[in-house]
Amino acid sequence: MKNIFRIVLLAALAALALWLWTVAFPGPEKVIRKRLTELAGTVSSSPGGSDLARLAAARSLAGYFGTNVEMNVDLAGHGLHDPMIREEITQAALAARWGAGSLTVKFPDINVTVAPDQQSAVVDLTMEASISGEHDPIVQEMKLTLQKTGGQWLITRVETVRTLS
Amino acid sequence: MNTLSKQSGFSRWVRIAVIGRNPKVTLMRIAVLIVACVAIFGFILLPIRVEGISMLPTYKDRSLNIINRLAYVRHEPQRGDVVGIRLAGPHVLYMKRIIGLPGETVAFENGRVLINGEVLDEPYEKTPCDWNCPPVKLGPDFYFVVGDNRRMPSEDHVFGKAERNRIVGKALL
Repeated sequence: MKNIFRIVLLAALAALALWLWTVAFPGPEKVIRKRLTELAGTVSSSPGGSDLARLAAARSLAGYFGTNVEMNVDLAGHGLHDPMIREEITQAALAARWGAGSLTVKFPDINVTVAPDQQSAVVDLTMEASISGEHDPIVQEMKLTLQKTGGQWLITRVETVRTLS
Repeated sequence: MNTLSKQSGFSRWVRIAVIGRNPKVTLMRIAVLIVACVAIFGFILLPIRVEGISMLPTYKDRSLNIINRLAYVRHEPQRGDVVGIRLAGPHVLYMKRIIGLPGETVAFENGRVLINGEVLDEPYEKTPCDWNCPPVKLGPDFYFVVGDNRRMPSEDHVFGKAERNRIVGKALL
């Protein structure tokens, strides 16, 4: 009985140590998931925000992207197929924030595939965007390519996926 | 003395009604029930809320339904089945009806669905429409899915070919 208790205690301690290790040193998949969840929060906006807050949010949004971003996006009738630089993303985000009311973006499903060299990753995700005044949310499957640059995972390619072709 | 024993008898019955004769067994039952609910509603029967009008009049906006993930274990999806189609994962699904099976050619001509050139009888379609869509040949692993609400413009309606591995299950209700 005493031995069983010891084994159970050891197993619990090992599980706790493993959990602490993953919290202290999260793997690339976990880091990317966290970063994308933060990105969804940054993209979301409420109508009452000040101009300064909008500018700060737009600037912070650009921080999630690489210097040059390849875009292949068809969203709600709008197409975007040219590469963009970070500043253009900031401008586009600002324009969107001034034009729209409240916007809530969520990524309910995020599938991360990290390359064997751990320096790039492909993410397949579902984006759900609710815009104030619109009855139904926009739902879109997207594929992102991320590169690890200077210790940070930056988005270098954005493309929409046609679930039903 | 009599009042005391009545009170203790009452509280005993309340205790039995709430936690059972044997609290350990009750706890075990609760644990089994929780595990069963998590397993069933997390992996087998997915509860969903319909959002949007693309499945009207069969399924109303904001109505509740369940997707049975085991529906296609023994057989493949059939024409007329209402299925859940996953995007990147199972948390957001398209709810559509299968009208075309693998290998078939599907087209819309003045609102009528043509399968291999023949008009498809659709008893669930209550309203006429004027959709037109050139013939689409389905691959061996593809199904053609569409919503029941054909009154809305075809440009606003998400429909087309769905790969078999995207079909999560069949609508139960």
